[in-house]
Amino acid sequence: MKRSRLPFFVTLGVLLFFYLPIVVLVVNSFNASAYGGHWEGFSLRWYLKLMGQHDILTALENTAIIAVTATLVSCILGTTAAFALHYYKSALQRYHFVLIYTPLVVPEILMGMSMLLAFVALGVKLGLFTIFLAHVTFCISYVAMVVLARLQDFDMAVIEAAQDLGANWWVTAWRVLAPMLAPGIASGALLALTLSFDDFVISFFVAGPGSTTLPIRIYSMIKFGSPAVLNALSTLLLVVTFTLVWASQKLTSNKGEAL
Amino acid sequence: MKKNLILPALLTGFALLAGCKSASTDLHLYTWADYIKPELVQQFEKENNCKVIIDTFDSNEGMYAKLKAGATGYDVITPSSYMARIMFSQDMLMPLDHALLPNLVNIDPEYLRIAIDPAMKYSVPYMITYTGIGYLKDQVNDVQPSWKMFARPELKGRMTMLNDMRETIGAALKYLGYSLNTIDDAQLAAAKAVVIGWKKNLAKFENEQYKTGLASGEFLLVHGYSGDILKVQEENEQVEFIIPAEGFSLASDDLVIPKAARNAGLACKFINFLHAPAVAAANTEFITYLCPNSTGYALLSAEIRNNPGIFPDAATRARGEVIQDLGENNQKYIRIWDEIKAAGE
Repeated sequence: MKRSRLPFFVTLGVLLFFYLPIVVLVVNSFNASAYGGHWEGFSLRWYLKLMGQHDILTALENTAIIAVTATLVSCILGTTAAFALHYYKSALQRYHFVLIYTPLVVPEILMGMSMLLAFVALGVKLGLFTIFLAHVTFCISYVAMVVLARLQDFDMAVIEAAQDLGANWWVTAWRVLAPMLAPGIASGALLALTLSFDDFVISFFVAGPGSTTLPIRIYSMIKFGSPAVLNALSTLLLVVTFTLVWASQKLTSNKGEAL
Repeated sequence: MKKNLILPALLTGFALLAGCKSASTDLHLYTWADYIKPELVQQFEKENNCKVIIDTFDSNEGMYAKLKAGATGYDVITPSSYMARIMFSQDMLMPLDHALLPNLVNIDPEYLRIAIDPAMKYSVPYMITYTGIGYLKDQVNDVQPSWKMFARPELKGRMTMLNDMRETIGAALKYLGYSLNTIDDAQLAAAKAVVIGWKKNLAKFENEQYKTGLASGEFLLVHGYSGDILKVQEENEQVEFIIPAEGFSLASDDLVIPKAARNAGLACKFINFLHAPAVAAANTEFITYLCPNSTGYALLSAEIRNNPGIFPDAATRARGEVIQDLGENNQKYIRIWDEIKAAGE
């Protein structure tokens, strides 16, 4: 009997569904037409126009600064939180878990609004720093959840063995715990980076003068801006994303061989 | 011990960033994206030895919610007229000192006559746009400047109207010769019947995609904003924009100074600068919306000056109206709009 072809077509269909819009976007970024309804010839005009728009580039810079710093800080805090949640089982930790979990389920608009109210009440000047704080708040939860999942099948005896062999806390954490948790932390970091990069709702509320991020800028372009410039920008971002994914896969697979 | 260094380093970094961005010679403009010609910003910076920092919002409501919650630091904002009115009634805007704004004499008195803030107490009109009809001239025969175009059976399925109750019901009200701010039940019922008749011919009610659809020829005739359709025209020269002779709606984005502005003096200078005739004309050419600056009209290119989609004749102009906030009576429009949406499904 012949094997069913159905799984093949389903896979193909799903892949098309995922990637066809991206292909259309990339093709349109080279389209001379501003509205992308029909092909008017190959052109790099949107890329040139993008390079001339300093405010878009500033917004991109703001977004990058926030995404990288928020990811770094939330990785450190998120990992320690996950470790505490896993290692210490007290009643207090149950509340800790609820606190870490809540940002995942609270609607974004509520988080944005409440943080704005808090910052205003505390007299914190709105700007890059407030966006950074807000992003760390929700990124911690994602990192903590991912690392926690990794800790579930983590053999705590390894830590005891290390300490038994004379490693102090710092050495244990840095030489034993961190490398073993690295894949979890790395995927948490990628998740945090992506979330921070494209967060709109929360950022919109906590952004101050001079700290417009890329998503805020893009949403605003819906009214007057040129969609074609966005296609060019998105294509460039896609190139960066795919390079990052490719590099991280390359790195992890090399590590796998070394072990 | 690297970890211990990261946070202080970050904090210093942010402090530095914040520090260099809050000098007293900064003007913070909170506006829609791409809503001012970049060269004009540079000119203003040079003339006043300051720096203009532009932040953007994507909806009047989002901007309002944010300011209402206490966000500050913006010196000039460009809300739509109806939102400026709300902000003023909530005591969020600074009254304007006309002595500091000598260029206000240039503002089109004909527009001010119908504006929500005709005395410019708290707002100065920045850009106005009309709602009218865009179409492809090689595909649509015998075009008349009238809302009855939407009743044409040969265009069935190739037309769109705005998914905006006030605009679309307003078009029908204008078609029937009524005010688009009416609260008369009989007039509204008549308008409802007209829109339901048009709806049979429409592909859909649409606010964004109609531009792409018109550029690509998917739609032949659309109800939309002059600024948007004139932008499509730059792309597809078959596109034309007409203003129905029965009347049309007119909307404006205004320049306002919030009470919490840090640099009100510079904000006044900026508003005054935008209404220097040459600046207003250059801005109009760039955005394709119209800066209502009558002294500046003479400086516009003949192409714009003679475009009936931007400068309709006097009789049509007299039938333009600004959509007013109807308060409680908005419910009437919401109910009719629901009935229109449900009709024939």
